[in-house]
Amino acid sequence: MKRNGLVLGVMVVGIALLLWSGWHNLRERRKAMQEAQASHVVLTPAKPGDTAGSAVSDDVETPHMLGKMAPGFTLATLDGKNVSLSDYKGRPVLVNFWATWCAPCKIEMPWFEEFRKQYAAQGFEILGMTDDVDAGKDAIAKVVKKTGVTYPILLTDGKVQKSFGGLDYLPVSFYIDRNGVVVEETAGLGSKDEIEAHIKKIVASGAGGQ
Amino acid sequence: MRIGIALAALLMGAQFGNLDAPATKPKSYVMYAAEPQVVTAGKRSVLELHFRVVDGFHVNSHTPKSELLIPTQIALQPAAAVKAEAVEYPAGTSYSFSFDPSEKLDVYTGAFTVKLPVVAEAGAHTIDGTLRYQACDHAACYPPKNLPVQVIFTAK
Repeated sequence: MKRNGLVLGVMVVGIALLLWSGWHNLRERRKAMQEAQASHVVLTPAKPGDTAGSAVSDDVETPHMLGKMAPGFTLATLDGKNVSLSDYKGRPVLVNFWATWCAPCKIEMPWFEEFRKQYAAQGFEILGMTDDVDAGKDAIAKVVKKTGVTYPILLTDGKVQKSFGGLDYLPVSFYIDRNGVVVEETAGLGSKDEIEAHIKKIVASGAGGQ
Repeated sequence: MRIGIALAALLMGAQFGNLDAPATKPKSYVMYAAEPQVVTAGKRSVLELHFRVVDGFHVNSHTPKSELLIPTQIALQPAAAVKAEAVEYPAGTSYSFSFDPSEKLDVYTGAFTVKLPVVAEAGAHTIDGTLRYQACDHAACYPPKNLPVQVIFTAK
């Protein structure tokens, strides 16, 4: 009887906590909504073509390409050549989307260059996909020079981003194994060790597949 | 009874876990608080434009340390009976990504105020403009955005 009373007490406390947390959650959500509404009051309506207030980060999840065949593409490089992903068939490839305005992108680019040299004998290649082509070739070339990268820099066409699942933020990288499958995908700046671990994974894929 | 307790605990855990999740993801990384201001007619006065960068994000200051980074910049349209001087931006704070502390950036976080010196004739005035900024969090960067701004003030 005493034990049942204790159990009942625990349940009552539990339910009370449950109700409290629900109320607390509701209050926080109302507060967030009020703040959002307050900010709306002071904003003028967006003009057509204006991206202000658009839901850039509504869906800022990592693109879901893991385990899928990497979509094919043919794009012009910064120096005017055409490059296709199929040119690297059977080789491990890192497809890295970046932009001139992206500071973390520029931190990892020299690391990529270092790893490209380190794993060149295993056929490893990197394709740098410039997301902000509208920045102009001069600005892109400046970043390339500053970061010291020598791997192909491709000018994206808007379609390739969509084929890789849509990119809401940068950097985003896809690690493609020798079979053309995306075996790792990363969003945001990771550590140098993490990047190397992903490269090792695609380099080791399909042993002797080169 | 034990199953009942376990179920209650599970429900509680799920509910508490939900508390940590953000209610909504931000649609804009910078908010603008338009506060009607009053200045002296015919005299140089300084209007203040109050912005707030959403927690967890930063934007480049007006003077980022690289020409390739997009500075926070406000563009204002001319307004009748208002003579506006050049906008004054606050100084940024130093920031670096944890993976590369040597690369220093100059950013705004939290609240920042842009000042706009004006000389206005008596009456109610509105100056429209746009704040262009580019936001990042601790590891990723988001495309540049434009935030419409409306400066409302009365000159007496």
